Amino acid sequence: METADSAPGLGDGASPDVHHKIGQLTRQLHDTLRELGLAEKLRGTAEELPDAKSRLSYIARLTGEAAEKVLNRVDQAKSQHDQLTAETQRIKALMVKDPVAAVAKGHIMNFLTDVEQANQTLDQHLTEIMMAQDFHDLTGQVIARVVNLATNIEDQLVQLLIQTAPPDAVLPKPTAAEGHPVLQGPVVNAEGNPDVVTSQSEVDDLLASLGF
Amino acid sequence: MANQLRFLVVDDFSTMRRIVRNLLKESGFSEADEAEDGVVALQKLRASNFDFVVSDINMPNMNGFQLLAEIKKDEKLKHIPVLMVTAEARKEDIVLAAQQGAAGYIVKPFTKATLEDKLTHILKKMGLQ
Repeated sequence: METADSAPGLGDGASPDVHHKIGQLTRQLHDTLRELGLAEKLRGTAEELPDAKSRLSYIARLTGEAAEKVLNRVDQAKSQHDQLTAETQRIKALMVKDPVAAVAKGHIMNFLTDVEQANQTLDQHLTEIMMAQDFHDLTGQVIARVVNLATNIEDQLVQLLIQTAPPDAVLPKPTAAEGHPVLQGPVVNAEGNPDVVTSQSEVDDLLASLGF
Repeated sequence: MANQLRFLVVDDFSTMRRIVRNLLKESGFSEADEAEDGVVALQKLRASNFDFVVSDINMPNMNGFQLLAEIKKDEKLKHIPVLMVTAEARKEDIVLAAQQGAAGYIVKPFTKATLEDKLTHILKKMGLQ
């Protein structure tokens, strides 16, 4: 078995020269970025990457929850629909056999009551399925912010390319970097953030405290 | 009387406009039109009669705060209640909306019951229910 001590590493095969050259390149890049004033910008962008990761996780969670919610409601609705179909066939058979008895014994009235209740429940399922589609709006806003971050990274890399290019190089024109929107969009992680509300009741309490 | 009211639903996402319109219809308000941002909303508000605005905040061209401000400074429109329905959950946004004259504030995602509750509250305040 190979242990960590015996495992082949970069140090084993790499010559001191290569290691030294990598070190020199890193230092050169660092100094160049600092001289060009880009280090701070790139650091700022790098700090936004974990935020982008949590935003993408939020999208995955929201779309997963929406799909689950819809499938659960469809399962329940289909089950009720099957029951209603079976009950309809049973009542139909009773009517064919003896319509007077079917009415007199209350089978028809009971069936109509059941249909009425089933209709209400099915309507609730349909409303919930419709409400589950709100993920489109929420994830759309989050996706727009991640795209904005990717655009910023691209802009900064193009800027770096332009400033470090040889005089005769043909380079693409930089696009204007868009600033961050003032509005924040959906809160992807409210934990430990006292500046945001996490439920409608908190919104109502806040408005009530302001006299609204 | 309340179910005769005419609503304007403002949101840049067509899915959300459709959801809100359907919910309004389920609550008995079938008279509704829609706009995809504040600019279109203002044009429609000035061109026709509306009794109630349900608006998102984060929209292109003119956001919900700007729309609210335009409505409140327009003598012909300022009486129209504006209910904000938005994903913006920062306390400062909620306070700003209240200070600018919003009639209510709902944070997305929301339920049908929340929307109905806010509508009832606002309409009662207006003396329409």
